[in-house]
Amino acid sequence: MILTNLIAIFRKEFQSYFTSPFAYIIAAVFWLLSGFFFGAILDQLLQTLSFLEQSGQLPQSVDVPSQFLEEFFGVLTSLLLVLLPALSMGLYSEERKRGTLELLATSPVTNWVVAVGKLLGVVAFFLVLMIPIWIYEIIVFSNASPPVNLQVILLAHASLILIATAILSLGMFISSLTDSGILAYILTFVLVLFLWIMDAIANNTKEPFSTILSHLSLFDRYTDLVKGVLDISSLVLLASYIFLGIFLTAQSIEAFRFQRS
Amino acid sequence: MTKLLNYRKIFQYLFIPGLILTVAGLVAGFTTKTWGAFYIGLVVIGGICLVIWLLFILITGQSFWQKRSTQAGTNALISTLSLFIILGLINFIAIRYFPRIDLTDNQLYTLSAETQSIVENLQQPIKVLIFDKETNPQDKDLLENYKRYNNKFEFEIVDPDVKVGLTKEFNVKSLGDVYLKYGNKKQLVQTLIAFNNREALSEIKLTNAIEKIKKDYIPTIYLLQGHGEYSLEKENAEQGSLSEAVSSLENKGYNVKPLNLVESFGIPTDADAIIIASPKRKLFDQEVQALKTYSEEGGNLLLLLDPNTDPGLEPLFKDWGIKLDNRIIIDGSGAGDVVGLGPTTPFITTYGNHPITKEFANGISFYPLSRPIDTVEVKGVEATSLIVTSDKMWAENDLESGEVTFDPKTDISGPFDLGVALTRKINPTEKNNDANGNKVEEKKENTNSSPSPSPSSNNEKPKKTESRLIIIGNSIFATNNLFGQQLNGDVFLNSVQWLGSQDEQPLSIRPKEAKNRRINLSSLQVNLLALLALVIFPLSALVAAVVTWWRRR
Repeated sequence: MILTNLIAIFRKEFQSYFTSPFAYIIAAVFWLLSGFFFGAILDQLLQTLSFLEQSGQLPQSVDVPSQFLEEFFGVLTSLLLVLLPALSMGLYSEERKRGTLELLATSPVTNWVVAVGKLLGVVAFFLVLMIPIWIYEIIVFSNASPPVNLQVILLAHASLILIATAILSLGMFISSLTDSGILAYILTFVLVLFLWIMDAIANNTKEPFSTILSHLSLFDRYTDLVKGVLDISSLVLLASYIFLGIFLTAQSIEAFRFQRS
Repeated sequence: MTKLLNYRKIFQYLFIPGLILTVAGLVAGFTTKTWGAFYIGLVVIGGICLVIWLLFILITGQSFWQKRSTQAGTNALISTLSLFIILGLINFIAIRYFPRIDLTDNQLYTLSAETQSIVENLQQPIKVLIFDKETNPQDKDLLENYKRYNNKFEFEIVDPDVKVGLTKEFNVKSLGDVYLKYGNKKQLVQTLIAFNNREALSEIKLTNAIEKIKKDYIPTIYLLQGHGEYSLEKENAEQGSLSEAVSSLENKGYNVKPLNLVESFGIPTDADAIIIASPKRKLFDQEVQALKTYSEEGGNLLLLLDPNTDPGLEPLFKDWGIKLDNRIIIDGSGAGDVVGLGPTTPFITTYGNHPITKEFANGISFYPLSRPIDTVEVKGVEATSLIVTSDKMWAENDLESGEVTFDPKTDISGPFDLGVALTRKINPTEKNNDANGNKVEEKKENTNSSPSPSPSSNNEKPKKTESRLIIIGNSIFATNNLFGQQLNGDVFLNSVQWLGSQDEQPLSIRPKEAKNRRINLSSLQVNLLALLALVIFPLSALVAAVVTWWRRR
């Protein structure tokens, strides 16, 4: 019962992106930018390498694929910082604006199921946006010699998806608070930016706050994971953010229901 | 279900003990910073209470929240709060107890086994201080990796402009210095910024420094006094002073003392090295004999001898095959003129292949008024050139003649040695005697240490297998005015370090290197990539956007 509801909501949410010109424009911009950076970073890396090789200044060993992965994912996250709030901003604020949120809130489907379904829908759309990048990566990494360490690459991608889900989840909560999509976008952007620079704030505070803050920092954890260090506590933290977003969304819709009744 | 509802009252207020217990545990833990089992127990029990309560609320939630909106509001607030606490707890436990798995090929981000065991076995707190404005994230990651193995390991990034007191306490010389603090011992680990080049903090250096400072052994260096040698004190203008060299040695973790052989009846047993810096007058025969015996039994000597001085150390020199030459080295290349020093100051840029000079490359050190050092082969003695003059230098016999020119009859032409490092294996027969002597010493130490375990009683000396000697035909290079210039200070410090570091094998930690990997793309693939990334995908999305927009209209 719950599962069918979940699937229904997921499908509705996922399909809605393919009928919206706005989503296609986002996709076009994201693909252009990410594609440009992919090519530019790869090109620059290979050129510096051949320059160093020719001038004989090359350090003894260079792992080009993982260096590329690290640099590209670094740029990718800053793109996601702009992109993801745009995906999540309409999740609930659209419904509020159209007045369909009452229907959702009072429907027999629980708020949890609605929230999880919507989140899955937007994550699925995000994965669609990532497909071209995966295609480029397959082309590049399949030409590495010796073959790449697949574990590291898979971990980097899994953590990218996890961090995107966390941001989308928090963005979903924020969009459930307001009926203005733009406001939701700005607030989400600010929140994620704050989580990003948390590490810098942490450096300027005293113990134990600096440890706590630096652990909460999303991107600090993420850089570790992308390098190939599977820190389970980082995964737990990302999962906590995802769960927190869903929980708060459900609570916020619950509160909305009582405000209206 | 009805039974569950009977206990509703209890469940409903379970969050109160839950909150109290967790908060108490967390506060106690953070204030005392000891995280004993009791505090963690408190936190865990409180967390369990909260989880049960939250589950209960979620299960019976429907009936709860349908009652009244106000009640729902407070409930929402409380459940949100407790969710925060629960998530916090889960994360806390995850950080403390969940492992890190390094998936990279060569375990790039994992400390070596040697480092791990050394850090895990730390008994006392140890602190790394980096005196720098900013830190490299890699360095911080490395230090955090160390910290992961033992909470007694701490680190701090100190801005020298903000914490002036601390900077003074450590006698920080330059930005980027990394110091270790262990008990009240301090030691320089590494200088991160050298010649405006930033280098990464090295695990090899840090672990070796920890191992060294942990050993509790403070090497003692003596400076011979009483024959017009340079003074250790700062205020001694007429005699010249080595106080800068002394304070640099102390910074490196040495104990530096003056030695007056006439007053102290022989050489102290704790002498790891004796520095004889240019005595102006002859030593007594008894003193020379004492030094000779010291050297024969594995002692280490650093001799800095200016020309025109005769310390009367010939018996010692005979053992080691050293010949002093009273000529003065003249630098014909004119390098000294550039900085206003005459031709009597040789500028050295060639060094021998020796641990002392291995990092110097072609750096400059200079030695105003110096003499060449000649060595004769003696059985059992291994001599290595340290400081080598260039072929544009010669040793001048006659300075008074007015014109300083190379005269092949009386002068010797370069290259020759200005400084030499020598080692000699100690006789095996003497070793047996030593073994007996050591036993007695050990007994003594035991009786000393049992009543009062003071740090000095732990000051155990490493066993000796060879004696070392360094002779440099100059002493002015190490005096206060010149010590800080170019590599002069490094020549002196490295020499003393080599003398005092007998039998200290550095840990063999291999540097981590990434696996060598390349990407070989054909030009076809490159073009395909560019086409896909810059044209096909963005354009198709744009077309789709236009189509959907058109349809919607």
